[in-house]
Amino acid sequence: MTNERERRQSNDIILAVEDVTLSFGGVRAITGVSFDIRKGEIRAIIGPNGAGKTSMLNVINGFYFPEEGRITFRGQTRQRMRPHVAASQGIARTFQNVALFKGMTTLDNIMVGRTLKMHKGLFWQIWRHGPALAEEVEHRKVAEEIIDFLEIQHIRKTPVGRLPYGLQKRVELGRALAMEPDLLLLDEPMAGMNLEEKEDMSRFIVDVNNQYGTTIALIEHDIGVVMDLSDRIVVLEYGRKIADGKPEVVKSDQRVIDAYLGVAH
Amino acid sequence: MLYREAGQYKTGYTADMAVFPIAQDRAGIAIILAAVVLLPIVANDFMLQAVMIPFLVFALAAIGLNLLTGYTGLLSLGTGGFMGVGAYACYKLTTFFPEVNIVIWILVSGLFAAGVGVIFGLPSLRIKGFYLMVATLASQFFLQWCFNRVQWLYNYNASGAIEVPERYLFGWALTGARATPTVRYYVVLTIVVALTWIASNLVHGRIGRSWMAVRDMDIAAELMGIRLLPTKLLAFAVSSFYCGVAGALMVFLWYATGAEYNVFDINQSFYILSMIIIGGLGSVLGAFFGAALIYILPIALGFAVPALLAPFGLHIGADTLEHVRLIIIGALIIFFLIVEPHGLARLWQIGKHKLRMWPFPY
Ligand SMILES: Nc1ncnc2c1ncn2[C@@H]1O[C@H](COP(=O)(O)OP(=O)(O)OP(=O)(O)O)[C@@H](O)[C@H]1O
Ligand SMILES: [Mg+2]
Repeated sequence: MTNERERRQSNDIILAVEDVTLSFGGVRAITGVSFDIRKGEIRAIIGPNGAGKTSMLNVINGFYFPEEGRITFRGQTRQRMRPHVAASQGIARTFQNVALFKGMTTLDNIMVGRTLKMHKGLFWQIWRHGPALAEEVEHRKVAEEIIDFLEIQHIRKTPVGRLPYGLQKRVELGRALAMEPDLLLLDEPMAGMNLEEKEDMSRFIVDVNNQYGTTIALIEHDIGVVMDLSDRIVVLEYGRKIADGKPEVVKSDQRVIDAYLGVAH
Repeated sequence: MLYREAGQYKTGYTADMAVFPIAQDRAGIAIILAAVVLLPIVANDFMLQAVMIPFLVFALAAIGLNLLTGYTGLLSLGTGGFMGVGAYACYKLTTFFPEVNIVIWILVSGLFAAGVGVIFGLPSLRIKGFYLMVATLASQFFLQWCFNRVQWLYNYNASGAIEVPERYLFGWALTGARATPTVRYYVVLTIVVALTWIASNLVHGRIGRSWMAVRDMDIAAELMGIRLLPTKLLAFAVSSFYCGVAGALMVFLWYATGAEYNVFDINQSFYILSMIIIGGLGSVLGAFFGAALIYILPIALGFAVPALLAPFGLHIGADTLEHVRLIIIGALIIFFLIVEPHGLARLWQIGKHKLRMWPFPY
């Protein structure tokens, strides 16, 4: 499996983060962190609680503006960006605390992920029948493919607010996939899941990476999962990068062992 | 066993995406449409003038507010003001250009309301919830003040009110003292049915999903590529369009002779808001339920309660009845806010679901 992935992976860099510094008031969340993500890889970002992992994702997709540093995505360098621009350039994400549209069904949540690919404006939406409906059907097919892929057919028409947590996480992944992103940011997609759910989710992540060639940045606390899934790992501690490299290398790094692997969970 | 989707196989996503996927629902809608079209044959003028026309007008305004508050999650107390913009715009337009048909001006006046709605919707980018509600309250008071003080708006009439001129449609008097309730009813019905159909189309497509996404989780919506300000402003525009048309209909086809500025005061805003709370936030159908309950129920009570008490020799005064009405409506609002925020529309859905399963409990 890993070999297969290595074959498809290139050395093209899809995202480069350089010297990014971010603080909230007086609190430094990230200090001078640099790393890159190669096209087609699964890149894990790990570190103890409060290390700045979520903040890093927020910088990458434009929720936070870093005081210093640059982000280069697909050759374009920038310091600040609006989230909807990041979305239109091909960055999708899931949230640490599920951020679904609670009052809407699974299907509608996933359909919202298609918004940027739908172009029929108010005039056509008013009549619905005709071009708007044709577009709707076309995107519904994509949504149904995702629903089949994630095995959530039975909850298609259920409002997501009523779903158990594990399924919500899965729907959130579906919504992000619906955007057909080039870079998918996953913030603790397996938090709070039981073993079986974790295995399912791991399988989905690997399949997304393999089948669609989607580049993935993965934040995860379960070290076993991280070592299994990822091609390379960045380790953060107190907002600084303390290690970066292949799983075997990171695993044996003394600073990582001290900072992270040593502490019990 | 009658209300089932069994045997109705969906042949494709188009069929599954239909607004009424179940044949019995479509039949129900057809029956209701036929009934309201044939109603003037059996109904007297009171039924049309005092029950049906106002009911339809309020339902339209409630749909408008529901698009903004129920679907997009932006609480507004400016409904009365936006309705007033429609009414005054229509008045100015038809007195400036009397030769253009009044029905066209009624619809165009909705566009004026939409424009005003967008302007007052601008703060919604920065403020939410309670604070936005206060901002819409300010717009309500500002507009109300304009209707009262800007004499140009009512053509400097000594009465200070809109005086509805006589206008015709295909030779029939449509506004003014000579217009019959039947003619006015059919025009109101046509406009309300058409706009209901459009609202239902909008909420079932991309635009409706964007509104609900902004309502449920705005940061995630932004991440899906939905731009917050244009989406919210579109909600304000479409919502105010509906309210504006409802306001114009109210003055020209319901009152039919004239209206004072205080028709569009803050009470009107609360009145419509109570309709969508009871009928169901985020439901087009709920707007009709709400309008029926808030507007028609009290009228029905006005007839039923004295009739029920009469055999016992009891009499109930008009003002006592009014108090009873307020108590009932207040209790209903509290009940729905606490027990069922999705209102009658949700109860209706649950009922249908039960019926689908009947006689099996699961
Ligand atoms: N919006 C915010 N305002 C103020 N401080 C913040 C904010 N977001 C994060 N922080 C602080 O920045 C630091 C990094 O937080 P972050 O959420 O990025 O950590 P994390 O690595 O994702 O942790 P966890 O594993 O618990 O999710 C923490 O000290 C946190 O308290
Ligand atoms: Mg985090």
